[in-house]
Amino acid sequence: MAFLAQQGALIDELIEAVAGIPKTRRQQRAALRDFVARSLQGHTFTRTNQFEVQDRLRGLEERFAVCGREALAEALDQRLGSLQQHQTPTTPEVLHLLLELADRPAQHAKLSD
Amino acid sequence: MPPPSERAGKQAAAQQAVDILHEIATILNTHLDRRTLSICISMIENGVNPEALAIVIKELRKRGQEIELEAAAAAAGVSTVPTRRR
Repeated sequence: MAFLAQQGALIDELIEAVAGIPKTRRQQRAALRDFVARSLQGHTFTRTNQFEVQDRLRGLEERFAVCGREALAEALDQRLGSLQQHQTPTTPEVLHLLLELADRPAQHAKLSD
Repeated sequence: MPPPSERAGKQAAAQQAVDILHEIATILNTHLDRRTLSICISMIENGVNPEALAIVIKELRKRGQEIELEAAAAAAGVSTVPTRRR
């Protein structure tokens, strides 16, 4: 399997970092490895639209402001500005991932973190 | 191969980009630490779809919690397998 050959080491690292399963639990790790490989290969998602990502980020900034989290809106705006100097072809996709994993930031995000 | 100074410069720029992305991840309350974010960036650079990756991360978090609970229950001598009632 070319996919596993290419991504295998990263999948193992991801399982350890996210699920925290030690290397001694071989069976559980193997099952998760299989699940991750199948999920990443067999998905039906389309490619990331960078304009849609930008719109979502701007929308989030507005929501922060509406919720009285102006400091958060400003911090996000500042980071997005700084990121422009470090743009790579995959930056929109990484931002897309972050948007998908965002967990009610207007309510729960803390600037002190 | 680029000279060492050029390589070091590129590495520093890449580190800075990861730092900024981690700050954005924190602002968005993604619960991603720096190490996990770096792994995700590498996977995306290798062609992994970000939406599929997000689903995988959420599921891995869930399964990690379940395994932790099972281990804690086993350590306490409690079975997590539901018993059938008559």
